[in-house]
Amino acid sequence: MNVSDDQPPPPPGRSWRSIRQEVKPLAMSRKGRRRQLAAWAKVGALSLFAAGTGWGVYAVAHSWSTDRAALATAVHSELVRDVVLITDGVLTRDWAAGVLALPRPASLMALNLPALRDRLLAHGQVRVAVLTRNFPDTLVVTLQERTPVARVQAADGSGSPRQLLVAKDGVVYDGLNYDKTMLAGLPWLDGIRLVKSGDGFEPVAGMADVSALLSTAQLQAPHLYREWLVVSLARLAERDEIVVKAQDLPEIIFSRKRDFFKQVAQLDYVIDAAHGLEAAPVLQSVNLTLEGQVPVRLQGAPDTLAAAPAAPAFSLQPSQRKPKREF
Amino acid sequence: MSSSRIVAAVEIGTGKIAVLVGEISRGRALNIIGVGVAPSRGVMKGEVVDYRTACEAAHQALEMAEKRAGVRIEEVWLAQSGGHLDAFYNEASVNVKSADNTVTALDIASVCDLAKEKELPAGRSRIHEIRRPFRLDGRAVPDPEHLSGRRLEVGYWIVHGPESKISDNIHVVGGYHLEVRELVLASLATGSLLTSAEERAQGVLVIDIGKGVTDYVLYRDGHVLATGTLPVAGDHLTNDLSIGLRVTHAQAEMLKLRHGRATTLTRDKADKVWLNGDASFGDRQLPKMAIETIAAARTLELLEVVRARLGTAFVAENCGAGVILAGGGAKLPGLEEAASRVFGLPARRGEPPGWVKEELRDPMFSTVLGVFQFGLRTAHEHAVPPRRKTGLLSNLTKLFAVS
Repeated sequence: MNVSDDQPPPPPGRSWRSIRQEVKPLAMSRKGRRRQLAAWAKVGALSLFAAGTGWGVYAVAHSWSTDRAALATAVHSELVRDVVLITDGVLTRDWAAGVLALPRPASLMALNLPALRDRLLAHGQVRVAVLTRNFPDTLVVTLQERTPVARVQAADGSGSPRQLLVAKDGVVYDGLNYDKTMLAGLPWLDGIRLVKSGDGFEPVAGMADVSALLSTAQLQAPHLYREWLVVSLARLAERDEIVVKAQDLPEIIFSRKRDFFKQVAQLDYVIDAAHGLEAAPVLQSVNLTLEGQVPVRLQGAPDTLAAAPAAPAFSLQPSQRKPKREF
Repeated sequence: MSSSRIVAAVEIGTGKIAVLVGEISRGRALNIIGVGVAPSRGVMKGEVVDYRTACEAAHQALEMAEKRAGVRIEEVWLAQSGGHLDAFYNEASVNVKSADNTVTALDIASVCDLAKEKELPAGRSRIHEIRRPFRLDGRAVPDPEHLSGRRLEVGYWIVHGPESKISDNIHVVGGYHLEVRELVLASLATGSLLTSAEERAQGVLVIDIGKGVTDYVLYRDGHVLATGTLPVAGDHLTNDLSIGLRVTHAQAEMLKLRHGRATTLTRDKADKVWLNGDASFGDRQLPKMAIETIAAARTLELLEVVRARLGTAFVAENCGAGVILAGGGAKLPGLEEAASRVFGLPARRGEPPGWVKEELRDPMFSTVLGVFQFGLRTAHEHAVPPRRKTGLLSNLTKLFAVS
């Protein structure tokens, strides 16, 4: 046969390999069906084995990646030789080392950092704690501490009173390493009820407002703040009032609905104005909760006098009189 | 993981089903590890006529072989025989494309594709495509690549058969939940085992006389020149004896085995033999000459048909290695003499090569052993050279690969 190149070749016949070889189970003999079942079982067993092997490999890999002892071996980390403390407060390295209580000897990679962090955070003074491995042998502890805004008196287990500190977020804690003079200048909290929670107390509600008032006073009128002895939150929940007791002024009523800066300014004005009067009245109470006027109560005056029209009520006209302080 | 595989060579014959289990390691090393033989049922003249019964018999042999081997068969190489098989020769030629008339791999691939692209009648499938030597400008060359010439020719001996009947054989194996990976023409398998490369180069005719069919293959110059299958074999001889002597089929088979001959040796008509030989009631004497005459006549007819089917392909002068007789029918005394007379060549019974163990040297295993031999050898002998990439990109790749 001579086939020219431009002629398309005829289609070839089928090869025996294109014959379908599968046989329906009904057409199989019993032995064939048994072999087929055995083959399926084998495939199933192999699949299970493969799945098991895969799971095993995953488990080993997962364990390898999470097991600290294995990691320690893997990276050949050394024993912890130093603990470095970086803090924005007053806590010391020794305190941190004491709280962490690292086992000796402890490999750096073998340390359970989340557990150590929880130990630090168990102390109320610590707001944020970050622990970092600094290879090869240093554990770096970075802390952000709470700042106390007030003090509170509580009874310990034996019934004797002890001084606790309250932070801006209401957390009540034992203060450590604070300057005693600074602590003595903090006002006491009153009108609150401490609720036990674990080893400590539940956070005090409303401390954000108290902190705002105290920091405003501390910054803008430190001469007034120094005189403040007690801050009462007794009326805060019901009437939104914070009552401050100062050394020479038994009751100063602030409202958390009004701007504290304005209220402190008004208080300063009222006190200055009272001192400027020839009669030199002694103030018993200053109410700063009202807009436009500040009712005051003077020492020796009958209670009804304060409500009478003739009772002194300082109208707020700062422009008529030169203020002693610029706010 | 082991690189060996467990392969079963299976022959679903008319008289018996033979299974050999072999372990093939490193692609070519064969170790026979199991044997299974069962009397065939549901098969007539090499064709499955009763699927259930054929399955039972085949699966019995497969199970026996598996048990003896102690392993699980992974794949099957199946010997294919039967009167339904046919073959034809087709050749093609191409002009060598390159300007300097050097034959390239592309020319070889083109001419091979053309020679194989002969459309078959509907419903038939190819079993073998056996390549004959290339001819370059009329001279035979084993590998024409890089030789110079103008015209390249090649021919293929294409063996094919009806898809339905081939499927039946495959499905008998599939019923045992096994896959047929190779299908080998029984005559090629037997010829591959019983002939040496030297004999094939000299030219040799192999005739495998089974119970239901007779397969033959003619080699010349080391290549297959013709193959064929006749639906006439030992069973027909038995049948002739049964009719001619008026005995039962079983008695005729017994007489054939005991007294049958392919040539008439007895001259005395009075020489008689007992039918059963056990002096039982109904036993009678039959003339031995009649038995020999019937058997010889049928045998000669069978051999004449083979010669006639070979036609012009058979030239005694080109068949230097003579005729080799195989199969159960080859046990018939005087067959060599009869074959020599018909073909005008020396004839002998085929003997398996020396590596075959004693228990497998029986002619019934010739085909299944040959299936292994042919299957392992054919991939290398008859493989068409792979088509190579050509063009600018391929050349650039080669350039960079060299540098």
